This record gives sequence, structure tokens and C-alpha cells, in this order.
Amino acid sequence: MERKGKVKDEWIVGGHRFSSRLLMGTGKFEDAETMVGAVLASGAQIVTVALRRVGRIPQEDDMLGPLQQLKGITLMPNTSGARKASEAIRAARLGRELSGSPFVKVEIHPNPHHLMPDPIETFEAARILAAEGFVVMPYMPADPVLAKRLEDVGCASLMPLGSAIGSGNGLTTVEMLRLILRDARIPVIVDAGLRSPSEAAAALEMGCDAVLVNSAVAASGDPIAMAAAFAQAVGAGRNAYRAGLMPRGGGTALATSPLTAFLSVEGP
Amino acid sequence: MKLTVNGEAYEAKQAESVTALLEEMGIGGRAVVVVLNDEVIPASSRRICGLREGDCVELFRLVGGG
Repeated sequence: MERKGKVKDEWIVGGHRFSSRLLMGTGKFEDAETMVGAVLASGAQIVTVALRRVGRIPQEDDMLGPLQQLKGITLMPNTSGARKASEAIRAARLGRELSGSPFVKVEIHPNPHHLMPDPIETFEAARILAAEGFVVMPYMPADPVLAKRLEDVGCASLMPLGSAIGSGNGLTTVEMLRLILRDARIPVIVDAGLRSPSEAAAALEMGCDAVLVNSAVAASGDPIAMAAAFAQAVGAGRNAYRAGLMPRGGGTALATSPLTAFLSVEGP
Repeated sequence: MKLTVNGEAYEAKQAESVTALLEEMGIGGRAVVVVLNDEVIPASSRRICGLREGDCVELFRLVGGG
């Protein structure tokens, strides 16, 4: 019997449908085998990659060859390393050439100390790339005003940060995320700063459409097991959001069991 | 032939085309994007795309990233 609530729970970004609400980054992994194992365990359908100049003598393993063999994975090149909109636009075009994917994670952080996204350059790059037909997913400060402006220029999603990239400080932007979620008409994905699956679950519970994690998996004790744990947490958070959390008690307790005095004699 | 490859001076021995340069550099089989004097060279044109003294070549590939 088909149970109620078993309808497909998909989300759409830039006209593309996805069922997994966990996006994975591919940086910081020890080796390609672990990275591919983690991507598979995560169930991710959107996977970020970066663009680098080819060294004179190729030293690194081919991390992405095995990934590109996997079916059902959309590669999303990022523009990491760009400090200005013009550099991000160039990186996006090169990334598209290499990946064959219209998806781009616009990522412009000029300060290596905190890696906070530059809102002005990010907006400018997103505006131009969206007009060029890219599926633009901007990594951005958790700012509801900027979110609306990015939506207005044709971004496919919003990717506000939970906390600084790679910090593992968790969801420190909850209040701003709520304001973004309230008005967004495109998917909202928490990108950066998460450390534990419970934080991913919390993001989905509050109504975020997805989360993107990398360090939380790659720098964990067992990346493949952690990827699976994140997948479960994202599923639980999403299911909880769809089910609807109970109202808050407003500071008062409400008993779940009858409070009739069971030691007293039942009524006549 | 003197080229600039990824910002460094490079003396190409017999690289008359982009494809020949990639093979000489040992990256013929890799998925790279080639930018010649600020212009992206599509993979399909590499074989017929010649190189000239002083050309500036940039090569990029995808790596792991978040």
C-alpha cells in the first residue's frame, strides 16, 4: 500500500530536479578512492569541484576522473581563488568548458584570513553569469537584503554560510537564515561551516532546501561513514520539516500523561 | 620556440600545435582547458591550432574543491 507522504520529495534548481538534499564538496580528501566513496555514501547528486592551473609536472592524482564516471552526478565548478567578479566570471567559463555543466558556485572571498564572501563582487559576477545562462549558485553572507538582490538578477539558488569556510563552527546565522527563508522563492542551501550531522538536520528542519558540506566529511575520522551520517541527518531534518514541528510551549509545561492523582481512590 | 606557459617561460621543442604542446608536456591524455592569448581553444580545434613564438598559454583542470 502506498502510504500518504510517500510522494516524491524533489527540489528544483535552475530547471533541474534533484532528490538528494545533500551537496558535497570534493576538497581535502586523502585520496580519490575515499572521496568517491564519500560521494557515493552521501547520495549527493550535486558535487562541487575547483579549477586549478596545471602544474608543469603533474603530481596530484586524477581526483576527478573516477567521479566523472559516476552516473547521476552533476558537477558544479566553483570560482574559488577569485578575488574579483571579473576573475570569477573567467573561472566560471573555464569550469563550464571542463565540466560541461552549466552549474557554477560563485565564490569570491578576497581575504584568506576569514574567507568571508565579498557581497559586491559576488553580486556583480552572479548578475553577469546568470545573464549568460549559467545556473548560478552564489556562496554568500547570510544577508536577507543581498539574498533578494541575488534572486532578482536570476540566481538559481542562494547559498548563505552557516559560519566561516572550514571552521566547523556550525549554524551561527540562524536568525538571518530565517529571514532569508521567509522571502526566498528559490532554493536556500546552507553552505560552509557545518561540522556535525545534527547541524545539517537543524538547517533542513527550519526549512532550508539543502546543505553543502565538505570539511565536515573530508576532515572527519571516517569520511565515508560521516557522509552516510550526513545523508541520514539531512533526510531526518527534511522529514521533520515536512511533518511540521509541534508548537512551542510558550514557557509553560504541558503534561503528556493524565495528572489525576493515581494514588487516590477512583471516584464513586 | 619560446612560449609562456602558466606564467612561466617555456622552451617548446617541437610544439607546432596545441595538441603537440600538451603531448610534449606529458598531459596529452588529461582533461584540460587551453587558453591561448586569453582565448579558450575548444578541444576540437587543438590539433589545427598552431603556436607562435611568444604565445601565452594557460592550462587549467578540475581538482577537488568545496
